[in-house]
Amino acid sequence: MLTTKNLEYWYDHKENKLFNNANLEFAEGKLYAIIGSSGSGKTTFLSLLAGLDKPSAGAIEYQGVPLSKIGLTNYRNKNVSMVFQSYNLFNYMSALENVLTAMAITKAKHANDKEYVFKMLSNIGIDQEMAKKKVTHLSGGQQQRVAIARTMCCDARLVVADEPTGNLDEQNTREVLNLFKDLAHKQKKCVILVTHEPEVASLCDQIIELKNKKFSIV
Amino acid sequence: MNFFNRAFLNIKGKMGRTILLTLVLSAILLFVLAGIIIQNAATSAVNSAKKSSGATVTLSANRDNAFKKMRQQKSKSKTPTLNLASVNIKTAEKIGKSKYVKNYNITSSTTANAKSFDAIETSSNNQMSNPMGGKSGSSSSSQGDLSISGVSSTDQVSSFTSDTSKITSGRGIKASDAGTKNVVIEKDLAKQNSISVGDTVTIKSTSKKVYKLKVVGIYKTSSTTSQSSGMMGQSDPANTIYSSYTLANSLKGTSATAESVAYTINNPAKASTFIKDAKKSINTSKLALSKDDSTYQALLTPLNNVKSFARKIVLLVSVAGTIILTLIVILMIRERRYEIGVLLSLGEKRWKVIAQFFVEMAMIMVVSIAIAGFGGKFVGDAVGKQLVSQETSTTSVATSNNSNGQGQMNNGGQPGGNNQQSPGGSNSSSPQSTSSTQQLKNLSTNISVVSLIQLAAFGLGIILLAIMIGSIGILRLQPKKILIS
Ligand SMILES: Nc1ncnc2c1ncn2[C@@H]1O[C@H](COP(=O)(O)OP(=O)(O)OP(=O)(O)O)[C@@H](O)[C@H]1O
Ligand SMILES: [Mg+2]
Repeated sequence: MLTTKNLEYWYDHKENKLFNNANLEFAEGKLYAIIGSSGSGKTTFLSLLAGLDKPSAGAIEYQGVPLSKIGLTNYRNKNVSMVFQSYNLFNYMSALENVLTAMAITKAKHANDKEYVFKMLSNIGIDQEMAKKKVTHLSGGQQQRVAIARTMCCDARLVVADEPTGNLDEQNTREVLNLFKDLAHKQKKCVILVTHEPEVASLCDQIIELKNKKFSIV
Repeated sequence: MNFFNRAFLNIKGKMGRTILLTLVLSAILLFVLAGIIIQNAATSAVNSAKKSSGATVTLSANRDNAFKKMRQQKSKSKTPTLNLASVNIKTAEKIGKSKYVKNYNITSSTTANAKSFDAIETSSNNQMSNPMGGKSGSSSSSQGDLSISGVSSTDQVSSFTSDTSKITSGRGIKASDAGTKNVVIEKDLAKQNSISVGDTVTIKSTSKKVYKLKVVGIYKTSSTTSQSSGMMGQSDPANTIYSSYTLANSLKGTSATAESVAYTINNPAKASTFIKDAKKSINTSKLALSKDDSTYQALLTPLNNVKSFARKIVLLVSVAGTIILTLIVILMIRERRYEIGVLLSLGEKRWKVIAQFFVEMAMIMVVSIAIAGFGGKFVGDAVGKQLVSQETSTTSVATSNNSNGQGQMNNGGQPGGNNQQSPGGSNSSSPQSTSSTQQLKNLSTNISVVSLIQLAAFGLGIILLAIMIGSIGILRLQPKKILIS
């Protein structure tokens, strides 16, 4: 579904490449973990997959079409959905409004369907009362679940997440990870998450390590 | 439109910030509105000033030219005579058809001698030195004891419009009196000779012809000097008899001419245009058109000052408001970078993000306009009053100076003086200027729907500029940098 072709990236100087000739393939219905030491370039790589930045060399293809052809804004709007370590919700909205807003922007199939959103939120442990509260009044774990619910309710087939459990305790980490599994296995999305926690990585279908500017399947 | 919904959620969700922004915007709009109110009030005051303070344009002999000719004759050692051209009535009527003319008064004056009655004699009625020099010798050999003031209508004569003279019985001279021998005489003259309305009196022209006149009205004058004394040397105002200009003409032995014609212009601002048009129909070396719109000008200056001051307020506040709001928008966008990053990561278009901020501001503006509407009334009232009191003091000085100057002109008829040599030709600035000053004092600072719409337009302009300048940053914003830190 998503393939990288000779992907290379550097920030300021070509000599300081973060990775070289990355040729990877990501399939639907699978949960991927990207691991690597701090500063190795995991976040940078993920931002390329998310369409937030352009590769320095090489290309990324979504269902055979280069992202440059789809257009990054269009790609972000239709094909990819993101989850971040710091949740990145609209803090002036309730959980419900956050999900509905994202669905409206991405023109999701169930856009404006409040009942659907309530159901999805309650599936991940956010009841109606909580759903109507401003997200700033929710706990970290609850906020991350709302962020995942946003991904679930949007139609994008690809989900990327950068350290989604980084701010969560063990209990919440396990719960959130199960949600990502559901996204991949039940909703048949392609889920790619970056983590530095081995326990998290070990629960994923496939682990890709970035080391010495090379990606390798563990 | 999804960004409308987001804008609404934002101003509802961030109440504290919304209230602060409302206050800032209200303060800006309050001053803009005050300026708009004063500006509109001044504009409507100018318009009503145009209506109420009429201007007059007088068509009469080109005195400057006539005097020049006289001096030339002097240098050629001839006996100098002053030849003042008269106005052809047909020409005058043609000019009077202009759309700028409200009405006009044809004036022709002469003197005659009382026959069936006695003129009033006063101790001061001795030989005055004739200020006109040469005039007496030019047309008639002797001066009569009565002053015949031929007019189109006494209603338009300055002494009547200014209430110096009033009809006490019968009626005044009307346009329909043209061609008749109807006259209006002064009350004292009537009393002394026991004449009443309906009586017939006789006079003798300077060429010794006898005329039978019908008294149709009696007027009372409070003037102590004769209106037409300047030219004829008559001193007692009671000896002035008003008649149709046609009668004065036949007494003089002329016809179809007049000394002067005073046109009342319906819009003082158009006086110059009217003169330009009218000059085409006259010989400008013999006749001249002079404008007197001093009342209007005296009102116009302070009103225009108020107007330009108000315009400056509006401009200054708009610029300052735009700058302040732009800075606020820049700060707001910095604070909301995260939110913008999330929107961009969701694939929202940048212009829609900017549109959301604009809608938020516009919603806040609606409330601010209401607040400014309440407050603007007070600010506009206070500032307007202050301005007007300042300006009217200047105006009243200007108008009083002006009427003094005219008085001299009427009585002295000095050579080279601009226009006021005959009774009909003088304008009526004094009474009208007081009523116009009244009008200035009541400078209406009410808030109209129009001024609120203007305010909304200014407000929209301000927030549009502020958002456009303030949001330039959004166009360069990299969602990656915001989200991944
Ligand atoms: N905007 C930038 N400009 C220049 N260099 C950058 C920029 N962002 C990141 N880097 C550098 O690129 C390298 C990779 O950063 P990146 O954030 O991708 O690492 P990471 O693998 O996600 O690390 P961590 O596990 O700590 O999150 C780092 O050495 C970092 O200093
Ligand atoms: Mg990272």
